[in-house]
Order: sequence, then structure tokens, then C-alpha cells
Amino acid sequence: MLLASTWMALMLGQIEPVQRNIIYAHIPSSICALLCFVVVLVASIGYLRTSKPQWDIVASAAAEVGTILATVLNLTGMIFSRAEWGVWWTPSPRLISAGLLWFLYVVYLILRSSIRGPRYLQARVCAVFGIIAFLDVPMVYISARFIPDVHRANFSFETGPQKLALFMGIGAIMILSAVFIWLKTDILRDQNKLERESAS
Amino acid sequence: MNIAADRNKADDLPKAIRIAGVCKTFGQRAVLNNLSFNMDAAEAVFLCGINGAGKSTLLRIVSGILSPDSGSVKIYGHDIHRNPDTAKSQLGIISHKSMVYPDLTVSENLLFFAALYGVPDRLRRVDELLEDVALSAYRYDRAAILSRGLLQRLSIARAMVHKPSILLADEPFTGLDTQACQYLVAVFDRFTNNGGTIIMTSHDLGLALRNCGRVMVLDKGRIIFDQAKAALDIAGFSQDYLSYARNNECGISG
Amino acid sequence: MRYFWLSVKAIFLKDIVVELRARQVIPTMIVLGMLIVWILRTASEAASISAVVIGPAALWIAFLFSGLLAQERSFAVEQQNDCMYGLLMAPVDVGTIYLAKLLVNLVMLCIFEIIIVPVVMISFGLDIHGRWAGLIGVLLLGNLGICGVGTLFSAMVQLARSFSALLSIIVLVILMPMMIPATLAMLMVFGAIPDELAGVGNMVFAGNFRSALGYMVAFDAVFVTVCWLLFGLVIKE
Repeated sequence: MLLASTWMALMLGQIEPVQRNIIYAHIPSSICALLCFVVVLVASIGYLRTSKPQWDIVASAAAEVGTILATVLNLTGMIFSRAEWGVWWTPSPRLISAGLLWFLYVVYLILRSSIRGPRYLQARVCAVFGIIAFLDVPMVYISARFIPDVHRANFSFETGPQKLALFMGIGAIMILSAVFIWLKTDILRDQNKLERESAS
Repeated sequence: MNIAADRNKADDLPKAIRIAGVCKTFGQRAVLNNLSFNMDAAEAVFLCGINGAGKSTLLRIVSGILSPDSGSVKIYGHDIHRNPDTAKSQLGIISHKSMVYPDLTVSENLLFFAALYGVPDRLRRVDELLEDVALSAYRYDRAAILSRGLLQRLSIARAMVHKPSILLADEPFTGLDTQACQYLVAVFDRFTNNGGTIIMTSHDLGLALRNCGRVMVLDKGRIIFDQAKAALDIAGFSQDYLSYARNNECGISG
Repeated sequence: MRYFWLSVKAIFLKDIVVELRARQVIPTMIVLGMLIVWILRTASEAASISAVVIGPAALWIAFLFSGLLAQERSFAVEQQNDCMYGLLMAPVDVGTIYLAKLLVNLVMLCIFEIIIVPVVMISFGLDIHGRWAGLIGVLLLGNLGICGVGTLFSAMVQLARSFSALLSIIVLVILMPMMIPATLAMLMVFGAIPDELAGVGNMVFAGNFRSALGYMVAFDAVFVTVCWLLFGLVIKE
């Protein structure tokens, strides 16, 4: 599906000039990165309420996938910004929010890997951070608007094929993310099982 | 001062401590396994077991700072996790750590805990306590400079500031010299004579058995032995327990 | 929730007395703050950058890092002699502990600010133009945010010792959204930028002083509430 959407975007929905097409990767990854964060939030709340390790595993998997998406988001954003306005980065709400989202994800992963001690404590710390970090996302979107934004993307997806390509792209990346989360959850679950068996 | 004599007049009055079906798992390790037992007022229980048996975990659940996965702990009918305020005001703790602030003076430490427990007329209560534990001469000294024995007395005063009816004693004799141990034994005796209830964990069988009227052995989160001291052959029990402990490689002194 | 204010007051006073006796936190904060100010002053002099812009920024940098320093200590006092156990056994709500620790951290930060703000104003040659109320408002709101979030995360050190190394980056990342209007507000107070930023492009609030403060109030309200609610989960095992 990803291939189909890419083809659609490039062949039928080309936006001029050609560099702008990176937006087809930018917007889906932005939406999916946010969705992954919602998954992390829900899994964190789930873990704190039930203390079941499955929730923690889902949160961990979603965070990893989200980090990749956030990285893609920031890179495509920077490329777009360079192509459009000649600067690699500009303090626009979108880019600042994307940057913070990336930071939050990375800190989440750092937290996860560096807390030593029993797994349930690590899970609890990460879950609390997951909830607080999620609150940051809308906050930064609002606060970033305090800065005058001289660079503003001023095009829209006008033609039918362009819109279709966009939606397909979003759908494709969503499915891809879901698959990755599912795979990662499986891997982590097996890893946990192995650890448990070797410990006992 | 008879704390709980009238509480146990009728059989249908709530028990001092009622533990029902308590389970606790840390990660994948089950530390407490469906634990249930009751204690009456003025009872002193010696809870023994090797390291890792679950004694400290049980005490932390009874004191309300750790929540069990299932089951309940009731202090005179009040669930400590549902009505913590009422239940916690009946509990005091003495452990091998003094739980006092080294940078505060003796009287400041006691005033602080008196405020936390809402003790009325705090200054007078602190004076009373200092008299009881013979620390009046040290009232303006910082806790950091007290010797181990004096620190233990301060810890006793701290535990008693709100006149609890139940004492949790978590390895209270650790690190004390003979004189300090005797002092503590006398304190526990006085407490139970006045109707107070004690749960004690210790690696010192001799001292613990002097204070306690009931012995329970905890193993892998279950009670494997529960008997009144009166019905116990102490020498036989000590021997059996020491060899059980040795087999499980634990340091216990008789 | 019996004796609520009595407990808050007791814990608050206890922490203040311990700190006054130990005399560790505030001197360290001052040294760190002075260092930051000195470095930034040197840089702005050398590169002839407008002092009125760097000065307010220097203030925030100093507050953030020194504030974190203070908060790392706030739960260390409970780790001595297992005092946390004794505190948790008392019939006090965990929210009481959060509030008391929050107030202690606020006071420490305020004392630090009372010392550092005049130092920065003098060394950077800043003029407040009589806007003391605005300055105090910005400082208090910023402090509340820093301490509200920091108190929650510094309590996590109880759960996992290895967490203390990460405390700084976690709190700084979480506070990032607040720092944008906070920095703008501080620049406005000292007259580095006009009170009404020309609305260009995407600006929702057109960036004036009132709305910056309004945002900080909202940020503090949301985060202090959520941190207060989650506090019970990080303080007990």
C-alpha cells in the first residue's frame, strides 16, 4: 500500500516544485507519530491502573515506532524547510512541535533503557513520564505560536489525485506503524519470557 | 494506661489485626501467597523466616505503605488501604533504621512527628516522651550526634508519640549492644502489659522469644508454622529453626 | 485528609530547618547561577550582543538549572535513616507531601531569585522600567511550573536511584513549552521586545504580555494538577 501511495503521489499528485513532494511523507508521519504517542498514553494509563506488564510492552513498542516516525517527521520537515525557504530550520509552530515530540520520545527511550532495577519500577516510571509527556504536545503547539512565524506553508492539496495520494499515504504509514508495533510487542513479550525462564 | 483492654471485651469486636488473603507479587516473583491470620490485642507475635521469606514485605503492607495485589489488612476493623487515616493512627514502627532526621534536634524530631499525627498539646507530649525514654538532657542535641543506643531511644519515642495500640518491630535489635537490647525488651514488655499488640521480626531468636507469646514462621510467602509460645518446646524449636535456616544459608543467632 | 494544613506546615518547616542547618542547597544554587551569568555576560560583551536580550535569557537559564539542583536535594533528606518510611506511615495524604515539598522548592527558588535578579540587572545593565509587578508575576508562574514538575520527578528517585542522573533532562524537556512564553514575557518586562509582537502568519495570541502570562497560568494549572494526582504512584512502591 505504501508503494501504491508513493506512486500516486509522485505520478498523479505532483506538487510543483518537485521538492515539495516530501510533504507526502511529512504529513503522514506527523499524524502517525502523534497517534503512537496516544498509544503510549493509553498504554501508560492502562499499566498504572492494572499493573499488567502487557500494557508496558505496548507502550515500549509504540514509543520505539514513534521515535522513528518523529525522526522521519523532523528530517522531512527540515528538507521541506530548506527547499522552500532556504533554511534548515525555522521556529514555526509545526517544526517546534515536531522537535519537542522527538525530544520527548528520545527521553522516553533513554528513561526506559537506563532505569536499573526491577522491571515493574521501570514500567511505572516510564508510564508516569508517558502521561506527563503527552500533555506537553498540545501545550507546545499553543506556546510555539507566540513566536512570529515568518515562514508559512501556503499551498493546499487541490486536485483529487493529490488528496487521494495524501490519504493513501496516511493510511499506509498508519498500517505500517501498527504492524511494527505489533511485531515489536511480540519480540518484547518473547524477550520477557526468555528472561523470566533464565531467571527462574 | 491500658490501651485496648476494653476493645476485646466481646468476641464480636474487631481483632487488632486481621490479615485476609494477602498476595503480593513483585514483577514475576510471588512474595506473599494468600496470607491470612489474626491477632488479638495485647498479643506479641514473633514473625520469623529466612531472608526473602516475605517478612519485611508483610510489615510494609500492614503499615500501609505498600498495597497488596489482593486481600485486605484491617486494623481494629479499619482497612488500612481504604481508611488509612484511622488505621495508621493506631500503628507505630520501630526498626533498625531510626527514621529520624539527623539535622533536627531530638525535640524537633518529636515535635514534627507529633504534628504529623495530629497529637494535641504537642509540647507537653514531647516533654512526657523525653522523660519516658530518659532523653531530656539531649533535647537540644541534633540527632546526628547521638550514639546508637540513644538514637534507638529517640526512635522509640518517635514511634510512641501518638500512643499507638500496635507496634511493628522490624529487626529492632540489629546493631544494639546488650544494654540497649535489654532496654528495648523492657519497652516491649511494658507495651504489651498495657494492652498493646506487637508484630516483631528479628534474626535474634533469644531476644524475640523473650517478648513474644506467639511464633510464626514464614516461608516463601506462606505461614508454615504458627503456635503459641506456651505450647512450644523452645529449645527444640530453636534447634529445628536454626538447622532450617542453615540449610537455607541464612545468618541467625540463637 | 485530617490535619491537612498542619501536616503541610510541619513538613514544610522541617525541610526549611534542615536546609538552613545543612546549608547545602542555596549556596550551590548561587554559585551555579553566578557562573551562568558570568559566562553569558562575557560572551555578550565579547560579541557585542545586546545585553538587554541576553540578560533575561541568562535569568531563565540560571533559574532552570539552579532550580533543578534544589529539587534533587528535596527528597534526599527523606532518604536518610529511612525517614520516608516514617513519613508514609503517618496518617497524611500523599498529596500533602507533594504540596509541602512543592512549597519548599518554591521558597528555595524564590530566595535564589531575590539574590540573582539584582546581580543580573546590574551586570547586564538592565532597566525594569517600573514593571516590578510584571517581573514578580513572571517569576512566580515560572517557579510554579519548574517546581511543580520537578517535585514529581525528583520523588521518582525514591523508586529508582539511577533516575537522579536523568532528572535534569526530563524536567527540562517537559518544561520546554512553558519556556517560550516565559522567555518572551521576561524580554518584554525588561523592554527587550515590545509588548505586542506584531502578529505574523500563524500567531494565535499575537504574543502580548498578558497572553504569555495567561499561557503560563494554564500550563501551571494543568501540570501541577496532573503531577499532584500522579504523585502517589511515584512515592510508594
